[in-house]
Amino acid sequence: MTRPADGANPLEVHWVELARGGDESAFAALVRTHQDQLYRVALRMTGNPSDAQDVVQETLLQAWDHLPAFRGESGFSTWVTRILINRCRNLHRARRPVDSLPEEHESAPGMPHSPAADTLAVASQSRDAVRRALLALPLDQRAPLVLTTFAGYTFAQTGRILGISESAAKVRAHRARRALSMTLQEWR
Amino acid sequence: MTDHDAPHGDRLPCGVRADDLLQQVIDGTPPRDPVHQASCPHCRATLTHLAELWAPVLDLAQEDVRAPAGLLQAVMSEIRELARSGWSAVLRDGTGQTRIAARVVGAVARLAAESVPHVTLAFGGGRVATAAGEQTDRAAVAGSEDATDVGLAGDRVVIDVQIAVDLGVSIPRVAQQVRDRIADHLTAQTGLRTTEVNVTVVDVRP
Repeated sequence: MTRPADGANPLEVHWVELARGGDESAFAALVRTHQDQLYRVALRMTGNPSDAQDVVQETLLQAWDHLPAFRGESGFSTWVTRILINRCRNLHRARRPVDSLPEEHESAPGMPHSPAADTLAVASQSRDAVRRALLALPLDQRAPLVLTTFAGYTFAQTGRILGISESAAKVRAHRARRALSMTLQEWR
Repeated sequence: MTDHDAPHGDRLPCGVRADDLLQQVIDGTPPRDPVHQASCPHCRATLTHLAELWAPVLDLAQEDVRAPAGLLQAVMSEIRELARSGWSAVLRDGTGQTRIAARVVGAVARLAAESVPHVTLAFGGGRVATAAGEQTDRAAVAGSEDATDVGLAGDRVVIDVQIAVDLGVSIPRVAQQVRDRIADHLTAQTGLRTTEVNVTVVDVRP
C-alpha cells in the first residue's frame, strides 16, 4: 500500500485544469492515477467488490460532472475521496430500510449471519473476520478507520476528506480501533 | 463521548494507557517509555495480545487491492456517452435506445415533489450549472426553470429538488416523502434508476 501523497502534484494540477475544460484524456489520467486507491477505500467501506466498483464508477462520473465547481482548495485526491465516502453513505442509507438485520449484524457476502462460536473462533484468525468486524462498525467510525489503517491517509488528510478536524479524525479512528479490537476479541 | 474528548482508553495496572500500546502496534509508533516497557509484564503481555489480535487486520491492510481491469474504460465510455447524448438519460434494450432529456426528468421530479402534501412549492429539477469557480446559491435559484440536470449517467439519475413546506410539519418526514415520491414516479414514468434524491428546503409557508 502506497501512502497517499499530501500536497499538490504539479502534473496533477495541470490534468485537473485540462479536465475542467472538458479534456477527457486528462481526466483519464486522473482516473488512472487514483482508481486503485478509490477502489481500495470503497471495497473496505462496502465489503463487496461489485458495490465497490459501482461506487467508484459513480464517484468518478460525479467528479467529472462537478469538476467545473472544483476550486482546488483541497487536492483532487481529497475531493474525489470525499465524494466516494458520501456515495458509500448514500448506498448504506438506501439499503438500510430493506435490511432486516441491524447494522451490527451486517456481514460480508458469503459470510454466515450468525456463525457458530467454533466457526468464529477459527474465522477470528482470518481476514474474513476482519472484514466482518469492519462492516459491523457504524459508518462514522468505519470511514476514518478505513482511510487511516487501510488506505494509508494521515489523520490530517482523513480530517480534510471527512470535513472534520484532524483531532476529531484521530479520536474517531481511535474509537473505531477500540471497537474493532473488542469485536475481534469477542470472536476469539 | 464527543469528538473532542481525549482518547484515554483503559489503563493497565502499571498506569500505561492501552490505547498507546494499540497505537504502537498499529502505527509502529515508538514506546513512550522504552525502559519501563522492556521490564513491565503488563505492557509486554498486552503488546503480545494486541499484536496477535491485529495481525489479520494489518495483513488485510497490506493486501494488494487494485481496481478492476475495465473500470477506467467503463468510466471513460460513460463520459463520452454523456457528452454525445447532450445530457439525456439513455435506456437500451435489444430493439434500440430511448433518450429522455434531462429537463423531462426534472419536470417529472418536480411534479412528483409537488404532489406530496404540505409541499407548496417545488422548483428545479437538478443542480444549476455554474461557471468555473462559482458557488451556487441554492436559495437564489429556487424557481428557476433553467435548472439543469447534471446527475444523469446512462439510466441512473441523481435529483436535487428545492421545496417549500407548510409551517408546523416535520421537515425530515416530508423530505423523505418527497424522496420516495420522486423515486417512485421516475421509475414508473421513465424507467430510470434513481440513485440519489437531495432535498433542499428553501422556504416555509404559514
